Amino acid sequence: MSRPNANSWLRGTVIRKGGVSTSTNGRTTTPQVQSTSTTVFGGGVKDTSGRTSEYFSMDDQCPVCKSDRYLNPKLRLLVGACYHKMCESCIDRLFTLGPAPCPICNKVLRKLAFTPQTFEDLGVEKEVAIRRRIAKEFNKRREDFPDLRSYNDYLEEVEDITFNLINEINIPETEARIAAYRQENAALIELNIQREEQYNRYLKEQEEAERQERELRALELRRAEEEEREEREKERREIIDKLETSDKDAVKLIARSRAEALRRASARSSSHGFQGSSRLRTRTAQTTVVPDVPHVPLQDDWYAYEDMYVISDSYDDPASEAVRRDREGIMRAGGYRVEEAWERALRSAVAGLEIVPLSGLHHTDQLTTSRSSGVAPEVASA
Amino acid sequence: MTTGSTTTDASSSKLSLYEGSTQYRHWRFSAEQLAQARASLNATAVSAIGEKFEAGSSSGVSFLSADEEVLLVKFYLAKCSQLCIHLGFPEEVEATAMTYLKRFYLKNTVMDFHPKDIMLTAVFLATKTTNHPVSLESYAQRIPKTQPSDILGHEFLVAQSLGFDFAVWHAHRALWGLWLDVQNLPDVNMDELRNVYESAVQHVRAARLTDVELIYTPSQISLTSFALASPALAAAWARSKIPTEPEPRVLAVIEPIKQMIASQGAPPEVEAVRAVDRRLRLCKNPEKVVGSNAYMKKQEETERKAEEKRKRKAAEVQKAMEDADPFGSPLARDTNLDDDDDDDD
Repeated sequence: MSRPNANSWLRGTVIRKGGVSTSTNGRTTTPQVQSTSTTVFGGGVKDTSGRTSEYFSMDDQCPVCKSDRYLNPKLRLLVGACYHKMCESCIDRLFTLGPAPCPICNKVLRKLAFTPQTFEDLGVEKEVAIRRRIAKEFNKRREDFPDLRSYNDYLEEVEDITFNLINEINIPETEARIAAYRQENAALIELNIQREEQYNRYLKEQEEAERQERELRALELRRAEEEEREEREKERREIIDKLETSDKDAVKLIARSRAEALRRASARSSSHGFQGSSRLRTRTAQTTVVPDVPHVPLQDDWYAYEDMYVISDSYDDPASEAVRRDREGIMRAGGYRVEEAWERALRSAVAGLEIVPLSGLHHTDQLTTSRSSGVAPEVASA
Repeated sequence: MTTGSTTTDASSSKLSLYEGSTQYRHWRFSAEQLAQARASLNATAVSAIGEKFEAGSSSGVSFLSADEEVLLVKFYLAKCSQLCIHLGFPEEVEATAMTYLKRFYLKNTVMDFHPKDIMLTAVFLATKTTNHPVSLESYAQRIPKTQPSDILGHEFLVAQSLGFDFAVWHAHRALWGLWLDVQNLPDVNMDELRNVYESAVQHVRAARLTDVELIYTPSQISLTSFALASPALAAAWARSKIPTEPEPRVLAVIEPIKQMIASQGAPPEVEAVRAVDRRLRLCKNPEKVVGSNAYMKKQEETERKAEEKRKRKAAEVQKAMEDADPFGSPLARDTNLDDDDDDDD
């Protein structure tokens, strides 16, 4: 949006159109919204602060009358409900006398439905508008559903409807779906709108409170500094007074008053603890407690027969003789430790010692599934 | 009925390491299951191969029985062991290769794949899975009349038949642990123990020629081998391991293993094997015999299928290219575009 001329408000002529209030200060870098029409077109996509600027390009050309920015520097293109652009003079010409068909697609349009363009890509413009519209009605939240699954289904449905509207698939059916939904959930929609408003209010309050707190803190800090300075001043005066009046040793006097000052200062600083506010900020933090089963990718908690063997420090073992006698450690180069080999062998010697062999024919299909060591051991019938 | 899950102590809430192994979960059978699996495999193979023979010629063919198949495989198990010793491979490789060979013939029949070919591949695969790699060329060179491609040709087939369960718990390692642990028993005579260990090692090697590792756990087999060499020492060790029972159940469990090792632990008679092998030459799956009519037919069939697939794929790609969107059509329509490279079937 263009910045109003520095003193125009004095004359009471604040009109945000370059055509009327001719901006003379050449400092503004954002393009001026220039208009040839007397109608004020509002709407379009803006963020909540209204900071988004209107789309503007040097190559703009009106697709209807073919006039471009070279011929008409004040050219302003607006977008109709069918997402076709045309310039303000064309709009005035075609639609002043009431609803008329779009010269490009023949859809009946109204003058006031024309909005400024925010995004270069009109597809984005359309999508944002549709999403805004959908979000207004499909405003259920996570806590309106019994479980995550149904919430996700709902989101999926919303996305489906949005997609259909954006890509103009099956419009009547989709509209019917929206209407049905609206009818079913009227109360909830209303409730959620209120909730949303409440939340926004809450956020605003919070922001305000924080700002106040910041200010308060700054004030406090300034006051503390002031106090400290005064204190120092007083102290200096005191020392000088004492030096003047007393007949004691000057060094001692100074040391004592220093120590006193230090004590006072520390008492002061400890009394000024700020009580920082730690209120919860985000709504998400409060509501999204999703119970989810932890995913265990790998069973890695094995019983490794630790209680079945005790490894000794040394064994009479011809098989590992060469490794153990290898003083240079060439055979242990890769980190080989004979103790580990021994341990593996010992574990192997006791592993499955008590497992009873299968018998009969009926286990083939259970081989992979029936295993659970919690089952009490059975005695072999063979 | 036994399901035989057994950890006696407090940690029984956790699954033990051995019970988590693929050996326990996929390669543990009862003797009856083994017999039945082999019989049904044999029956399926016989009927399938019978159809492949040209009309009329199958009437006189006597196919191998399941027992004869086992005999042949056992002969090559013994051969496998000899080969590993000849090539200087460690016992780990030898035992692993023999396990692979046994497992392979629980899923395949000798009438499709001759064990003399599979044995070479199994040994080669075992060198890799046990971390004693040798180069394929030097390995193939040391075996007469063998090309590297002969070994590699079966490698994926073998791996697939094993279900890619390459890790094996071996009885000889368990026996090593047993030998170490027995030293901690009170009043053990080391000289006597050495002799016992040496003879137990031989029993473990004999056990490898039998089916015991498909039925029992490695620790039970090693204890059996030890018991065959010195029953008193084995019983003393078992009691020390399971102090809660006066007469540990495992000592009863190993009795049948003793019998199996004693009765089946020797390599088969060469003459009997030769007779089986001679008959195998006649009843082999003709599709696997290079140069035979059925082989040619099969090759043609495979090639025709591959060609068809290639054409279909090319057509799909062509169609995809012609579609206007350079980024491809929407995903949902792509499902019939077969872009995996499994041309090896």
